[in-house]
Amino acid sequence: MAMRCKRCRAAAVIEVRRHNAAFCRDCFFHYVGQQVTRAIAKHRMLGPADRVLVAVSGGKDSLALWDLLLELGYRADGLYLSLGIGAYSERSRRVCEEFAAARGATLVVHDLAGEHGYAIPEAAGKGGRSSCGVCGLSKRYVFNRAALDGGYDVVATGHNLDDEAAVLFANTLRWDTGSMARQFPVLEATRPGLVKKVKPLYRLAERETAAYCVLKGIDYVVEECPLVAGNTQMRHKETLNRMEEESPGTKHNFLFGYLDRAAELLRVADDAELAECARCGMTTQAPEDPAEAPVCAFCRSKARLVRTLPVVEASTG
Amino acid sequence: MLVTARLRPPDRTVEVADVRRVGDLLARLEVLPGAVLVIREGTLLTSQDELRDGDRVEVRFAISGGGP
Repeated sequence: MAMRCKRCRAAAVIEVRRHNAAFCRDCFFHYVGQQVTRAIAKHRMLGPADRVLVAVSGGKDSLALWDLLLELGYRADGLYLSLGIGAYSERSRRVCEEFAAARGATLVVHDLAGEHGYAIPEAAGKGGRSSCGVCGLSKRYVFNRAALDGGYDVVATGHNLDDEAAVLFANTLRWDTGSMARQFPVLEATRPGLVKKVKPLYRLAERETAAYCVLKGIDYVVEECPLVAGNTQMRHKETLNRMEEESPGTKHNFLFGYLDRAAELLRVADDAELAECARCGMTTQAPEDPAEAPVCAFCRSKARLVRTLPVVEASTG
Repeated sequence: MLVTARLRPPDRTVEVADVRRVGDLLARLEVLPGAVLVIREGTLLTSQDELRDGDRVEVRFAISGGGP
């Protein structure tokens, strides 16, 4: 017998086992909108007058987020950072541009090679970080800087429940309490040079953001980044998905239990003192030796990379 | 009864015989239902939906490894 929608009893198109529910197309949109609205309200992520910069990659999560924020009436522009990953970056940029054009939305484009002198494929392993490590560091820096320069109030990213559960899992395996303390759906701008960061999709599984895109007809980049194969986060997600299959709700309980009961306790572990980077002026952790000039991780990484890399042409992708 | 399944990413196509429901197809492909979407003619199928002879479906993996 076909599955029935929990709300209206029509034929269901998607099952959400952790909520013991299934939904038809329209009720699924209602459910997704409700989860995002709850996330925004619970953590006071966005105000109606806020200028929001949505970090978009062309993937399912970020485009679903941008679409939802526009539908909910927020003033949301997109930010695409070209990472210089050949045809993959070119296709990703095109998808973001087409998304923006179809909605009359504004897309801001930055280019890592053109602006900072390196692209991700060549940077892998050169500065002591993996390609995913350099990529994450570069994105965090560029998103914050672009939001400051553009006068935005908030940066919104498409991190979903699976992303957050996998990161928490990794941090817990290492008991990295400092990182755990900073893992929260909202990070306030605690000092000048920092922009508020929010994750309005943290209540939704990535299968649900993909389903939202399919049902909404949003063209997203289905292909995985060619540099990501076998990375740690993928392996952790696979482990968590096997647990979830046996016991629906495992990921939700792990993440929400942490956020509701443990995150506050760990705040005391986040004792990092902040300072202004001597090279770029952005906020960074203060060095242990007060005589040492503070230099942020991005500037340190960039300095190592540009010393070891051949000159890179500005990418079009 | 033959169903053609396109799995992506990556992109490969397989033919699977004698599967009545979507859940049977995923079990035969040894794919976790919670990690994929099954798409037929632009809409989604649940694990209980019946398959028809000659169906062409996409089994789309919904797990991403990079940050958004």
